[in-house]
Amino acid sequence: MGMLVAGVDVGSTQTKALVMDSEPRILGRSLIETGARLTEAANEAFRLALADAGVEEKDVAAVIGTGYGRYRVEFGDAQVTEISCHARGAVFLFPDTTSVLDVGGQDTKAIRVGEAGQVLDFCMNDKCSAGTGRFLGAASQALEIPLGELGPLALTAKNPVKMTTTCTVFAESEILGWLALGRKLEDVLMGVHVAIASRSISLLRRVGIEPEITFTGGVARNTAMVQLLEELTGCPINVSEESHYCGAIGAALFALDRALAGAAADARGGVLP
Amino acid sequence: MEQWWQGLEAAEEEGRPVANVFVMGSLAEILASFDIPMSFPEITSLQTAVRGKSMDYLTAAEDYGYSPDICGYVKVDVGLHLTGRDHPNGKLPKPSLVVSPNTCNTYIKWSEIWERIYGCPVYVLDLPGWRGTAAGRADGEDFERDRAYVEGQLRELIALCERLTGTPFDIDRLRDVMAEVNELSDLYQQLIAENRHHPAPFDAMLEGLNYMGIANAYRGTPEGSAFMRVALEELRERVRLGIGAIPEEKYRLLLIGTACYSHFRRFLELFHGWGGVFAHSEYMSFGGGGIDKGIAYDLDRPLESLAEQILSSSQKCFSGIFFSQDWQADVVRKWDIDGICYHGIKSCRTVSTGLPDTREWQMREHDIPGLFIQSDLVDARLWSDAQMKNRVDAFFEALASRKAQARR
Repeated sequence: MGMLVAGVDVGSTQTKALVMDSEPRILGRSLIETGARLTEAANEAFRLALADAGVEEKDVAAVIGTGYGRYRVEFGDAQVTEISCHARGAVFLFPDTTSVLDVGGQDTKAIRVGEAGQVLDFCMNDKCSAGTGRFLGAASQALEIPLGELGPLALTAKNPVKMTTTCTVFAESEILGWLALGRKLEDVLMGVHVAIASRSISLLRRVGIEPEITFTGGVARNTAMVQLLEELTGCPINVSEESHYCGAIGAALFALDRALAGAAADARGGVLP
Repeated sequence: MEQWWQGLEAAEEEGRPVANVFVMGSLAEILASFDIPMSFPEITSLQTAVRGKSMDYLTAAEDYGYSPDICGYVKVDVGLHLTGRDHPNGKLPKPSLVVSPNTCNTYIKWSEIWERIYGCPVYVLDLPGWRGTAAGRADGEDFERDRAYVEGQLRELIALCERLTGTPFDIDRLRDVMAEVNELSDLYQQLIAENRHHPAPFDAMLEGLNYMGIANAYRGTPEGSAFMRVALEELRERVRLGIGAIPEEKYRLLLIGTACYSHFRRFLELFHGWGGVFAHSEYMSFGGGGIDKGIAYDLDRPLESLAEQILSSSQKCFSGIFFSQDWQADVVRKWDIDGICYHGIKSCRTVSTGLPDTREWQMREHDIPGLFIQSDLVDARLWSDAQMKNRVDAFFEALASRKAQARR
């Protein structure tokens, strides 16, 4: 097992923590809702990941915080943005990755990466959350369908509607409007997925669409999104069971760099490759 | 700048005319030759944001009916006029004259607001053909025709100033003013060039904006040139002593776009915290009224030369904004730039259009790393701190990684 490290990704909707050894192998993980108390969420996720790995906090040599709440990982040794962490994590999961798409709760990120997982370029949505994971969340709420069932249901669509907005605020009224017109639930849902996928692709185009593309973040678990992205890019899309944890994986890998380099590493620049 | 404000207040108290003018084509040369003080609404608007007061005026304008999408400078200014012209820095004067070039889509509509409120004359300077690719158009066949067209308009402004002040035009006074602008332009160019040193002695988005403000407010005056001489001497001393704009310069940056005045310090902190200094900015170019492009008036034929230079500097400035890729690549090379920050302004499409495309082009053609961020000039609602920091941090992480790889 050797040296242990951890990454804690405090995202806008969910917090993920992951414990890794120096091989590097994933030993344990956790995923909880972030809520309003970011420090508590970070602490709890870390505690659960340690328990899942069957190790204790004193055994962990370094911890890196990432995500919007990275500065609330108060037990962490340093912070790295989730852009760098998703890039690093994606190349760890799929070593031939050149482009990364992360559809998160309030951000969509398209990242072009180098062989070592370093960020070569990135593009993000504007500060508005249009077309991000939050958009799917709004659809889930409006239709009272659990998030995990949205994708499979959308894939049964025969005649998808064309959504005119990717605005999260207006999404609900447009969804209800289509249903009021008598359109089938699955057709409306597929329309929602197409809207998000199209917006994600335009961001990906900004950094260049080249295989292999790795899809990360919580929305990567959505089968309809994966299928649509494959159709729109014309390339197979890499998705891993660990995609949801990609930011935390990257953070743990930066923590490993730091632990291996020793305490002399610079607080920020030193943890980078 | 305090003295500039005092001059504006004194003119209003004494009943002397004040002209509202814009940074991109103020025609300061003619106005100064009539001793007409210039009020720059762009500068007075941004000053409210630096003082943390811009939202008061923006809200007043929006309550009156102006849309949230309109230029923030315009709305702050409208708010000021709607609320008694009480500016954090002093009493804003009523304009007696407006000089409005066509170098920004909004200038003329903005001028019409003052015309409606105060009934003051609006002089529109129509500069032909500045929004094209041919920066060298000053050598083209059409140039003499365009120059004569602009010169004719300058004569109209002179007649208007004579009527307004009751003072006859004095061409020798104009020569004196133009001689000062020649010197100002030369000094401003030298000052910008000092930042090619390592470390850069000033930040183009901090001290650089002070130089730019003085260059506008004191254009054509001995005070303007005197300030630039002192500033240049100071910068040369800093270079000699190896004193940089920030304690430890790690990255040299070029900014494309304008400043975010509602979060002026915070914006800089995001970059300075990583050891990033803005060694140059496009803002110092177009916001300086073209003097960075090199103005050399021929004092033997002042009006003809003034028309020539206005035409040529506006063409160069605006070719710079809309087709600035070659200028950017040149600055990257000469100022040893590590990355370019493209700062889009939500309420100003004029300076923001095409920034993402230019960023991609520079990365593809010249392998110059670029960061695209957005906020606003004066509207604090359009700043999102966490998202801004996230993007800036990620950019520096990528730059750090790039530098580390280059060292290997």
